[in-house]
Amino acid sequence: MENEISIETKEPTCSICKTAMDTEEIYCSECGFPEKGTDKEVAQFHARRAMENNQHMDADKKIKSARNVLYVMAGITLVFGIISFFNNQDIAVLVTNVILGVIYLALGSWTSQKPLVAILLGLLLYLTTVIISAILLPETLIKGIIFKIIIIAYLGKGVYSASSIKK
Amino acid sequence: MNNSCSRCKAIVKNQAKFCTNCGNSLKKTNLETRTSSLNIIIVFYAVFLLFAVVSYFLYSEYPTNINIEIAIESVFALLVVGFSLVDFKGILKLYKLPIIDWKILIFTVAFPVFSAFTVYFTVEHANSFLFGSVDESYYGGYVYLEHPLFWAILFTAIMPPIFEELAFRGFLFNQLQKVASENVTIIATAFIFALVHFSFISLIWILPFGLILGYIRSKYNTLWYGIVIHFIHNFIVIMIDYYIYNTYFLEL
Repeated sequence: MENEISIETKEPTCSICKTAMDTEEIYCSECGFPEKGTDKEVAQFHARRAMENNQHMDADKKIKSARNVLYVMAGITLVFGIISFFNNQDIAVLVTNVILGVIYLALGSWTSQKPLVAILLGLLLYLTTVIISAILLPETLIKGIIFKIIIIAYLGKGVYSASSIKK
Repeated sequence: MNNSCSRCKAIVKNQAKFCTNCGNSLKKTNLETRTSSLNIIIVFYAVFLLFAVVSYFLYSEYPTNINIEIAIESVFALLVVGFSLVDFKGILKLYKLPIIDWKILIFTVAFPVFSAFTVYFTVEHANSFLFGSVDESYYGGYVYLEHPLFWAILFTAIMPPIFEELAFRGFLFNQLQKVASENVTIIATAFIFALVHFSFISLIWILPFGLILGYIRSKYNTLWYGIVIHFIHNFIVIMIDYYIYNTYFLEL
């Protein structure tokens, strides 16, 4: 019994994540901690971890911004469709905008589970809407160009941030 | 199965996130693959948006020019094949003949028959009612030619199933699989497939149609069933159009 206890306590584990390690392993295979490394390597590990945490928090912020952009787009699209219907009695614009608004809303909500694909689809949907509008009314391409660039930038950053943290 | 570290070449376990010899992060390779796939997906979509815009203006300018139609269809085919060369091995696997299963065979024939009639007599009419589109006849667009039915079948029933399935259920599906799970990939390809049809009301039927094609591609790992379903659907739509055009339009 005493022998069994002494064997159990000798099995090496990572000091940070407690993953089991082989005796000849220098670094933990799970978190990369230099269990048998120098003081300098340990300090570098902690510095890198702090940096990764910051990057993760930054990525989360960008995903949140992209989610908000999708919700704002849903709101604008729905409101524009309703106003347009009451002004021009145009059922086609109303139906199109309701469909678009619901899709933006659904994609925004989906970002909490699958941010990468939800934001990517939101970006592609937005680009398609801009292009279709430009085909029908070429002047809309220039109208609100800064606003359009900001939306594309936010969604683009959201896509690559979601990719970097693999959510 | 074990891998080797790209920095020190030490053998590492397959599930390892870090090299146990030098501490090199093995996740970086996955991140690079994901970023590269994302870039390809965005470029692919941007190219097809640009292609759609150019095609739209060419069709508007030359509505009855067969050479323009042939040129547009050829450019589309070349673009799809060009992108597919990026993932040649992955695409080639999808052209292996599938093991024939009677259930999927019945579905492959029955589903497009149902979808073609449903779409033609409900959604197309809703589109026409809402948007007042006057050029609703697919067949009617080719009557200026000598053999309109041949051209209508070629450009509506034969070319799109071959190249759209290669583009969306082949190339795009493979790229999305690198950044998303299987189910999310099916949803995303169906969504993008619906988007490129440039009709938001048609999302109602193209999205479920794309979901079914994506599911079949995922389950059977082949493009053949999708091509056949897509072909039968488009072929029936053309034949209904042909019948209606010759029965009603010519009598008026």
